[in-house]
Amino acid sequence: MSHPIAASAGPASPAAYRRAGAALATEWIKLRSLRSMLLTPLLGAVAFIGLADGTVRNNAAGWAHLDAAQRAQFDPVDINFNFVTLGILLFGVLGALVATNEYGSGLIRTTLAATPQRGLVLAAKAVLAALVALALAIVIIFTAFFTGQGILSSAHAPHVSLGDPGVLGHLLGTVYYMTAAGLIGLFTGVLVRSAAAAITAMFGLLLVLPVLADRIPQDAVWRHTVPYLPSNLGDEMWHSHARSLPSPGIAVLGLAAWVLVLAAAAAFSLRGRDA
Amino acid sequence: MSAQAGAIRLDSRLRATARSEWIKFRSVRSGPFALVATALIVVVGAWLLGAGNRNSAAASPASQAAFDPVFTVLQGIELAQLFVGALGVITVTGEYSSGLIRGTFVATPQRAQVLAMKALVFAAVAWACCTALSFAAFFLGQSVLSPAKHVGIGDPGVLTAVLGGGLYLTFVGLLGLFIGVLVRRTPAALAALFGLLAVLPIALILFKGTIASQLGEYLPGNAGEQAFHLLPGGAYTLGRWPGLGVLAAYVAAAAVAAFTLIRRRDA
Repeated sequence: MSHPIAASAGPASPAAYRRAGAALATEWIKLRSLRSMLLTPLLGAVAFIGLADGTVRNNAAGWAHLDAAQRAQFDPVDINFNFVTLGILLFGVLGALVATNEYGSGLIRTTLAATPQRGLVLAAKAVLAALVALALAIVIIFTAFFTGQGILSSAHAPHVSLGDPGVLGHLLGTVYYMTAAGLIGLFTGVLVRSAAAAITAMFGLLLVLPVLADRIPQDAVWRHTVPYLPSNLGDEMWHSHARSLPSPGIAVLGLAAWVLVLAAAAAFSLRGRDA
Repeated sequence: MSAQAGAIRLDSRLRATARSEWIKFRSVRSGPFALVATALIVVVGAWLLGAGNRNSAAASPASQAAFDPVFTVLQGIELAQLFVGALGVITVTGEYSSGLIRGTFVATPQRAQVLAMKALVFAAVAWACCTALSFAAFFLGQSVLSPAKHVGIGDPGVLTAVLGGGLYLTFVGLLGLFIGVLVRRTPAALAALFGLLAVLPIALILFKGTIASQLGEYLPGNAGEQAFHLLPGGAYTLGRWPGLGVLAAYVAAAAVAAFTLIRRRDA
């Protein structure tokens, strides 16, 4: 779908919406033609749904041997979704690769020559990355939920259905967290521009840092910082036992704040630096 | 070099190869960047972890006895290992993606020697930096901990644990380097290395069961990390030297595969 914009518009600049449409079309072609963008999400989805089901199966098998106290702690949603701790990496890393692949190949220079409105390029990338992440998250989360609860119910362990209070909220919140992680990865990739640095940053921020921070005793400083790490905000989405934040609404806003701050930094850096 | 054609002595070629590997290593920007990131994480981490645990004096006698003052302040290594490992990976994959590797192999067709010198130069730099950082983190951490339980460098087992921190990071970097040779693409190699070090341990914990916990014992990170434990503790029980030995075995296996493949494959 090539619009003859540049040719027909002449010196007058094309209408903003047509330019935005063209930028979206360009970014879409680049996104879908990346080899890693087809296989990696597919393999990732299979791996993480498998991890979720394996976890649920092992927990369901142990249900009959639990004592009363352990049974009281058995939460079918938590057991189903603790794979998100790892699954979130798929989104962060893929988001980062969307940006850094273009720097690695040098294509970014052509892109910015063709569309000097760099903010528009970034916005188009972000919109498409968010849509793809959203679709992938919906597939992973809902498949993991229905298969996982099915395994629990066939093992006669406690299970929930979509209509039970709070369940749909957990699912949608987790989808939101995964989408946000994709955008955090994308903007980090634009900021650091190297695949190695961006991937390392994602593993550090989303996986290792929260584990380390959890081992520090929880004093006042801890309570005002650590719960606001993106992975801990994301935990609020799927984990039924609220950790340290007053409400899940704060976690939703906190994740949005991470995305927006990184978006602003990425836009500033993309406009200010030579590609 | 005054060597005639075909008569270059092995030691002078190795020296020249080591020098060219050193030039490549130090002239890439990612080297200093990764080492500065490692330094910040290990040292600032020691300060934060020491300060956070300072009030452990109030804890019960049992948890006092189990408190490991060395591992507590060196834990930043768990985050820093990502940067050292990534440096190992891009030392190789960076050369593949820029195409320089073809020039290297034209200049030195003895590919095994190139890889050996590359690993040697990397290991020497990584070991020197990481051991220095491990000591810095130890001394800073103990001074911050000091009202609570803390140890001196002369106490039994402490010196080897601190040296173990530097050795652990060096092995992780070498594992990254050899995985880089095997995979040759930066994102895939990083995913493989970080998967082994950071993802699989958590995946196995989620899976539960005895097989999963036995496997967890022998993952490179879980096993090797015991090198900088002063007291046995935590979920894994191999102990310091067997643990480091398991990590070394992973490095050796990756090295054997890398030396085999680098000679067989087209660059």
